[in-house]
Amino acid sequence: MTLTDLSPGETGIILNIEADTTLSNRLRELGLLDGIAVRMVKMAPLKGPVEIKVHHSYLSIRWDDAQTIRLQS
Amino acid sequence: MKHHFASSSNTGSRDGEHWVAIVGNPNCGKTAIFNLLTGLNQKVSNYPGITVEKKEGFARTDDGDFRLLDLPGTYSLSAESFDEEIVSEQIDQWAKGMAPPSVIISVVDATNLGRNLYLTSQLQDLNIPIVIALNMVDQLEDHTQIDADKLASKMGVAAVIPLSAKLNEGLDNLKNAVVNARKGKQSPLDSPPWMDSEMVSDLKSTEQNGYVSARFGLAQSMRNKIQSGTMERDQEAILRYRWIDDILSQVTHRGAETPLASSRSEQWDKILTHQWGGPLIFVGILYFIFQSIFTWATVPMDMIQLGMDNFSTFVVNNMPEGMLRDILVEGIIGGVGAIVIFLPQILILSFFLTLLEDTGYMARVAFMLDKGMTKMGLHGKSVLPLMSGYACAIPGIMSTRTIDSWKERLVTILILPLMSCSARLPVYTLLIGAFIPSVTVGGYFNLQGLTLVLMYFLGTAVALILAKVFSKWVGEKSSSSFIMELPPYRAPIPKSVLRHVFIRGKLFLVNAGKVIMAISIVLWFLASFPKVDNPNSDVNPIQHSYAGQIGHAMEPVIRPLGFDWKIGIGLLTSFAAREVMVSTMATIYNVEDAGEEAVNLREAMQTDVHPETGAPTYTPLVALALMVFYVFAAQCMATFAIVRQETNSWKWPMFMVVYMTALAYFGAMAVYQGGKLLGFS
Ligand SMILES: Nc1nc2c(ncn2[C@@H]2O[C@H](COP(=O)(O)OP(=O)(O)OP(=O)(O)O)[C@@H](O)[C@H]2O)c(=O)[nH]1
Ligand SMILES: [Mg+2]
Repeated sequence: MTLTDLSPGETGIILNIEADTTLSNRLRELGLLDGIAVRMVKMAPLKGPVEIKVHHSYLSIRWDDAQTIRLQS
Repeated sequence: MKHHFASSSNTGSRDGEHWVAIVGNPNCGKTAIFNLLTGLNQKVSNYPGITVEKKEGFARTDDGDFRLLDLPGTYSLSAESFDEEIVSEQIDQWAKGMAPPSVIISVVDATNLGRNLYLTSQLQDLNIPIVIALNMVDQLEDHTQIDADKLASKMGVAAVIPLSAKLNEGLDNLKNAVVNARKGKQSPLDSPPWMDSEMVSDLKSTEQNGYVSARFGLAQSMRNKIQSGTMERDQEAILRYRWIDDILSQVTHRGAETPLASSRSEQWDKILTHQWGGPLIFVGILYFIFQSIFTWATVPMDMIQLGMDNFSTFVVNNMPEGMLRDILVEGIIGGVGAIVIFLPQILILSFFLTLLEDTGYMARVAFMLDKGMTKMGLHGKSVLPLMSGYACAIPGIMSTRTIDSWKERLVTILILPLMSCSARLPVYTLLIGAFIPSVTVGGYFNLQGLTLVLMYFLGTAVALILAKVFSKWVGEKSSSSFIMELPPYRAPIPKSVLRHVFIRGKLFLVNAGKVIMAISIVLWFLASFPKVDNPNSDVNPIQHSYAGQIGHAMEPVIRPLGFDWKIGIGLLTSFAAREVMVSTMATIYNVEDAGEEAVNLREAMQTDVHPETGAPTYTPLVALALMVFYVFAAQCMATFAIVRQETNSWKWPMFMVVYMTALAYFGAMAVYQGGKLLGFS
């Protein structure tokens, strides 16, 4: 399953990230490492960006990009 | 994508000089600290990506002054957008020994240490003494403790100074630490502590790329290997975070709070960014702002008007009659005074816009609108630049630097001048006040305020539609993402908000003082000479003047829009700045009147009649056409200059002039001719 399968309020653990190098680099730098917990906070309507909480900060990521983040099932 | 961005200018750093750079993540408080250390007033706001260019200042200490450099925020040395590129290029130069600073202040947000220290650890590779400014300690949870000294020794930096830029606490310690860091020699480590010896020897074999520090060379060749795919992609992040997390577990003590706990901001967001309610609230806020610009400002504006009238009466009564008095009363007080009364509106507008940013709300708006914006060929991060465009296009265009895709950035720049900037406000307000009746429609909407909102809406709506059109054939598609941190809502610091509003107001007045005064004087001459030889002839002296002649020459072109020669002159002088339109009309009427007292511009326009037919020169329809003209017209030289700078070519500013002029001309014509067809006069 991927990040977008979480409903707002649910938490998941990152399994890996399948984005292209640039995007995955940025996500990794922001601390989205494998094994890290993320919480889905909010989803903008019509597959707009999602807001997640990871470590101590809130991040917004586009829907398509969030789908490249796979979670442990 | 890199080659699309304008190259960043090199700041004039002098070799061997003692100077200090501030580096850190977006929104961690770098500029707030920079301002406190230098006494300058650079913009501080609760939105990641406010600073988009290098800024310099001087910090004073007991041990002498040093030059201080503030930079845009970045999460790492791998840049995605132009503002980040400014930082990474700058650091690359330091790494190659080009005028490096003697100390780096690495600002970190204490509430999110791990992520912030990532960049610090990259900076450490440079082997330049680092002082960590542990900012925002006032925001730490009660139970969280960070052992600053232990953190400094574990990381191997010169010092860690806890501070709060908001409360102005700890800044003296920071200064001292910077001075000491420069004196004390840091023992250079050849290999980064987060790499094991095996990796080091692995990477040593690759070339060193001309970097001064062996350690930076190692890290860089690792990044190169990651880029070329010969090394696991997340290697650098894993290694650095492993090192940082290990240190943090030894130096921080957290209470019961968990990293994913729901914050107070999240509760606010349940309402403010609600799926459907959120966008409605935003539209409501915009309506409220534009409406209140009109309604709230009336009282202070009337007061300034009264003061101006009294002042000109005073001058008339106390100065000997003559040309000097005429210039002063008709030219300067008439022209500049006509503009100065709009100061309250400018202040109200910038007050609200500052509040929206400073609370952290603007970042949410970007989040809510990203989807819609991408549909129009724009980007979630276009929202802040477009909103700043309501104040002035120039800072708006600069702040598009945070948009990571060139195409979307270019489209944002191209449509941004269609957002009605505050220089149009005097024009709108004058015309609305004079020609739109102050009646209530639909129960509680004031027609005057509504007309103003309509002008803002017209510019914005056409901007969005054109964005869609332009994005079809402008620039090639480039990858784009919207990774943005949503900062916590913060109560704005009153001093900082007021300071910002004050700066905007000052800018407006200085402009009125300089540009408008100069133009008013020149215009006074043009409108007063040549004098009619025979004062008894029925030639109207102002029609006969140079200004009158120029205006009349323009009339055939602007007649179809309903404009007369006076407006024609106003359109010309508007090229210096849009608000000059208003001062131009004022000067012309003052010269024409040549009476003892300053003319009330609004009344003068209302009562102006055609010399032959006796029909009113200006009607609500003409006023509407003129406002529409100003919504679209390209009349700001400074905007073109900045577009040229940001796009690195004359092509785009020229394109802008052409499309905006066409829109203005045909838009105004459509209003005037269409209105006449419908039976309005
Ligand atoms: N509570 C608190 N807020 C702070 C502190 N320092 C800065 N802020 C706020 O944090 C926000 C960001 O401050 P800036 O100085 O603009 O941050 P920056 O790092 O320059 O940001 P960018 O230029 O966007 O990279 C503003 O709203 C400041 O008022 C602090 O010590 N405590
Ligand atoms: Mg800044």
